[in-house]
Amino acid sequence: MTTPAGATATAAAPASAPAVPQAGAVGDDAIRTHGLTKRFRTGQVAVDRVDLHVPRGAVYGFLGPNGSGKTTTIRMLLGLVAPTAGEVHLLGSPMPREAGRVLPRVGALVEGPAFQPYLSGRANLARLDAVDASTDPRTARARSDAALDRVGLGAAADKRYRQYSLGMKQRLGLAAALLRPRDLLVLDEPTNGLDPQGTREVRHLVRELADAGTTVLVSSHLLAEIEQVCTHVGIMGGGRLLLQGPRADLTARRAAHVMVRTAPADVDAAVVELRRLGLADVTVEQGVVDGGVTVVASDAADDGRDRPAPQDVAAALVRAGVGLLAFDVRRPSLEQVFVELTGEGFDVAR
Amino acid sequence: MSPGETAAAEPRPVPAGRPDAAPDAPARYPGAAGRLVRSELRLVLRRRRNVVLLVGLAFVPLLLGVVLRLAQDAGLAGQGPPFVASVTGNGLFLVVASLFLCTPFLLPLTIGIASGDAIAGEASAGTLRYLLVVPVARGRLLAVKALGALTFAAAAVLAIAVVGLVAGAVLFGVGDLTLLSGDTVPLGDGVLRVAGVVAYVGLSMTGLVAVGLFFSTLTEVPVGAMAATVVVAVVSSVLDQLPQVAVIHPALLTHHWFDFAEMLRIVPSVDVLAQGLAVQAGWVVVFGTLAWARFTTADVTS
Amino acid sequence: MDTAPASPARPRLRAAWAVPVTAVVAVAAAFAAPPLLASADSAGLPEVSAAELLDRVAAAEPQALSGTVVHTARLGLPELSLTQATGADPVSLLSGSTTLRVWTDGESRSRVSLLGTASEYSVVTDATQAWTYSSSDDEVVHYALSPQDAARAQDLAATATPPADLPSPDELGREALARAEKDATVGVDAVTTVAGRDAYQVVVTPRSTTTLVGRVVVAVDAATWTPLRVQVWSNDDAATPALEVGFTDVTFADPGEAVLTFSAPPGAEVREVTVPLPDAAAHAAAADAAQGLPADPGAMTAPEGVTVSGSGWDTVVEFTDVDVAALLTGDPSALGDDPRAHGPIGGEGAQALAEDFMPEGDGPGVELDAGALYDQLTTPVEGGRALTSTLLSVLVLDDGRVLVGAVPVDALRAAADA
Repeated sequence: MTTPAGATATAAAPASAPAVPQAGAVGDDAIRTHGLTKRFRTGQVAVDRVDLHVPRGAVYGFLGPNGSGKTTTIRMLLGLVAPTAGEVHLLGSPMPREAGRVLPRVGALVEGPAFQPYLSGRANLARLDAVDASTDPRTARARSDAALDRVGLGAAADKRYRQYSLGMKQRLGLAAALLRPRDLLVLDEPTNGLDPQGTREVRHLVRELADAGTTVLVSSHLLAEIEQVCTHVGIMGGGRLLLQGPRADLTARRAAHVMVRTAPADVDAAVVELRRLGLADVTVEQGVVDGGVTVVASDAADDGRDRPAPQDVAAALVRAGVGLLAFDVRRPSLEQVFVELTGEGFDVAR
Repeated sequence: MSPGETAAAEPRPVPAGRPDAAPDAPARYPGAAGRLVRSELRLVLRRRRNVVLLVGLAFVPLLLGVVLRLAQDAGLAGQGPPFVASVTGNGLFLVVASLFLCTPFLLPLTIGIASGDAIAGEASAGTLRYLLVVPVARGRLLAVKALGALTFAAAAVLAIAVVGLVAGAVLFGVGDLTLLSGDTVPLGDGVLRVAGVVAYVGLSMTGLVAVGLFFSTLTEVPVGAMAATVVVAVVSSVLDQLPQVAVIHPALLTHHWFDFAEMLRIVPSVDVLAQGLAVQAGWVVVFGTLAWARFTTADVTS
Repeated sequence: MDTAPASPARPRLRAAWAVPVTAVVAVAAAFAAPPLLASADSAGLPEVSAAELLDRVAAAEPQALSGTVVHTARLGLPELSLTQATGADPVSLLSGSTTLRVWTDGESRSRVSLLGTASEYSVVTDATQAWTYSSSDDEVVHYALSPQDAARAQDLAATATPPADLPSPDELGREALARAEKDATVGVDAVTTVAGRDAYQVVVTPRSTTTLVGRVVVAVDAATWTPLRVQVWSNDDAATPALEVGFTDVTFADPGEAVLTFSAPPGAEVREVTVPLPDAAAHAAAADAAQGLPADPGAMTAPEGVTVSGSGWDTVVEFTDVDVAALLTGDPSALGDDPRAHGPIGGEGAQALAEDFMPEGDGPGVELDAGALYDQLTTPVEGGRALTSTLLSVLVLDDGRVLVGAVPVDALRAAADA
């Protein structure tokens, strides 16, 4: 896949850390990777020089189509897969060297839930709790009960995992991630298999955890499900991190779509004024609809110039004597950004 | 709270549902290893499949005892494989005869299933990744899995022995033990010798457990690891029959399995028993370290 | 903190796999090293001449000992597939390796056990009586003298040779060396190590060119003058001995009462066999032989039905009126009185072999597979069947004669036609 032109945006993103990461910078991030690469024995490069940067307290939406390297990246973050090159710091500590110290503070849901099918939900949680050397055995029962209640599985706690529905399984996975207080949650596709109600609950849970100060990295191939809760976004495509940064920045930086509707007589004045304001791609749409003509333009991004605020554009048009029938400025949605970057939509299996 | 966290924008209220305060530097609770081991043993010994296997093995002495009991008046007494002929005279031999019959195939099959499943089963269920991110060190998890598989092997041998002893005592009674050399030792001595047989058979399975554990780290398909383990035992037995490869016989996994009979000779040879156990130890060391090297470096992609 | 972006995983990977590699090397070394170390040089032993060695062995008191013996036969017989299944059985001595345990008090009592997988065939000898026990069929055979003979034996203060026997290097070696100088040249070979003990080697080379036996090598313990290993080399194979009986492990100490006594297990079937004491002349010859004097087979009164022809290594023993078919069905009387067959006949090597080969009329496995075994071992020849091996030939004629000798079949036939 060729690198899309939009990838130059990545260069401006804060993720492009210096070659030698500074200790202070590492400590400030919940997750930080540098040059993270995974080449499988087959020669396939699943993850290619990814510099992930997840600030503490962020809800980081880790987006990308299936097969874009999200899960392999997450596995490397958690020490399940050894990177071919690059390094990982979780909560300020290098992984996987300090996994024993760091991972108790990290809750994870990796590539769907997985439990022993012949054990009950509660017994499965008890098993994971027993594996954790840093938990107090006396409160094990209270911990698993609390986690089960939190995901709404209290009533089905003693049912065998085999008998759980897909949604219940997903909830149990979340319960395992929440078995103890965490500083970081890594949730890979947490809404998979959930109905809309369940999806809303997960969103609510993530927001609640974030409000409590937990950093959350939540991956999804369904943008709409998590877009609303994210403070930060990273977009993967073809094994590379195409873009990352605060969500607002990402769309604010993109060229806005400016639409002006005016009377046919004012069209020329509008075009002249828009060009004067520095907007690019000023085009007059053909035809008169409801007595008005539509002029569109783009507030050219990244050309180094200050971009006029929408209210200034409107005021300037009015000052130039253009009679405004309608005026609209639209920032692109994340999805549009993604399509623009990758040339692909979501939900595309590669 | 670490300095990084204090830099977080907002204070952190402790939400409901958190039973204890946020831990910062996770401590190791004393007895954590014991808790892990207990959890694993519960998993192994309560698993329905494993229980069925154990019950199946326990049926061998029971069936053998009942068949011999029913047939003992049929004029066929004193015939059959070693030890079987002696059962009707002394119930203690039901233990030895059952072990003799199970050692070539049933016991390796059962143990191959349990040990081949140890890691591959978790990988196939996907639970391996969740165990590892709890976290638990891979070496520690492997050790606990090995312990679970060894415990199951011990349980398998004991299932045969205990049921054999009880069924033998009930069906035929127990008495002074006639050794292979024709000499007779008192019951107490006899029970000790049979206990020695059981212990030797149990220890003879350790090499196979190590082999199974190694195969288990190679694949995410438990059936593959189980089959490979059983195949190793079978191939070893076949090679042991071929005089053309006599030079490797002493090192074969199964070559010394029947040396448990040494316990029933008039003077059990410590050398023979030690040699058999040393070979098992060799297999354990080689395949144990192979399993360790593989498991601690492998990517967990299941 | 690592400054290099390269992952530390790669060297760790190599380091981890170095552990099993080291383990394999260590385990292989642990198993290979002891045999290598055991073959330490036996230098420092004073040189001994062949004659002196023979004298020492003859003069040495039989030692109380316990040990493990490995008996290996490479007689060039057809593969004996049946012996695998039958458990511990003397018939297994015919081919391959067999392990035996030996205990003796150095005087009249001994126990020899032939070990099988989960089975055992034991021979316990106690002066004038002997027991054999086979674990495979739980059968006890008790050999004893008749009361009159027992009294006579006591008067003679001699031991009656029990008819049941399993090979043991010390007895075989002593026997072989006792008559070594007759019909053979004796030399000394390099000092060696047997069962971890320094040993001299005596080489007995038959003068005869007819016999199948190339040479007999006896390794003698340098400290106790006890034979530790007997190797019989065929003329056919210069690389490996056709027959080898040697200790792999030996302790010179009284084995204790427990292993030297035997009482039949309860419920076992005990078959009593009364052994006639040889008459005075035969006994004298036997006594001579036991004392290491050359015994001339010709001077011996051969038992009825047994004819001895030839001498030394070329000796051919002829049995008449042997009902082979009955033997194969397990009737012990078919061989005539089988104990006589074990009389001191033929050359030393031949006798040792004859003892191994003669059907033990009571052999536990015999009744099961003797017929098949017989067909497997022998080949049809004109007028009967012949068994050929690297050391011994047996000619079974249809007229009921059986000829045995350490010579080619042709020599047997010549003897039969004579």
